[in-house]
Amino acid sequence: MKNDKKLNELLTSWENTYKKGQLTLWIFMSLQESKKYVDEIKNFIEKKSNGTINCEEQSLYRALRKYEHINVLTHELKEGNKGPDRKYYYLTKLGEELFNQFVNRNIKLFYSNEIKQILKLN
Amino acid sequence: MKTITKHLLSFALIAIIATIAFRYFLSYGIENQSTIIVTTSAIIYGISMFLAGWVFGKKDGEYLPIFDLGFRFHLTTYLTHNGISLLWILLGFGSKYEKLEWTVMVAVYWGFFLFLHFIYYLWARKNSIDNLDKEDLFE
Repeated sequence: MKNDKKLNELLTSWENTYKKGQLTLWIFMSLQESKKYVDEIKNFIEKKSNGTINCEEQSLYRALRKYEHINVLTHELKEGNKGPDRKYYYLTKLGEELFNQFVNRNIKLFYSNEIKQILKLN
Repeated sequence: MKTITKHLLSFALIAIIATIAFRYFLSYGIENQSTIIVTTSAIIYGISMFLAGWVFGKKDGEYLPIFDLGFRFHLTTYLTHNGISLLWILLGFGSKYEKLEWTVMVAVYWGFFLFLHFIYYLWARKNSIDNLDKEDLFE
């Protein structure tokens, strides 16, 4: 029982550190799939990460503002169901290239047979 | 220019109003040789500029992590204060005891410190991409 508690605390602590820097990847993944507005990005992240990535609206808006500023994503306005037009975000060419290179360098290495065996994914 | 944000413009507007008010009371105080009016107006002006810079600077940083936020606010303060002060004297609103040279000297000495800040700004620019701090770009 004591060990379970400790394991849980350690896991939470590790996950909190691990999740720092993850939001960008999840935003890019959601936009790689299709153009989305903020609520759709938020839902994508929460659903696909099984709720492990907390995605507060304020953080999401700030991140989107930054990525638009550095021109890795942009938006187009489309009519929403009700109210004002929605901003549909999508990756620019620079954003797509950045995402592809990031995935090649940091994600694909997890899919080598050797690493998959170590991770017991086979 | 993307680094001229709405928060910086709001700060500039408050700085213009505060500087005009300060100039008025300063000249009035000098004209009437009142140390209390001169000192009080300078303290209130200093505090109000500091608070405006702090509030709008904080909001600006939260909006976008623009590198060396301080220089943009410093430059705005310098231009506002010295621009209004020079105009104030040149247009004849100053007291009879005020001399143009004093205002020019304030601009020159302050300009030297602004220049040093500018050097630091250029150095800090190396750690930015499109004017955003590299360290605070991705999350």
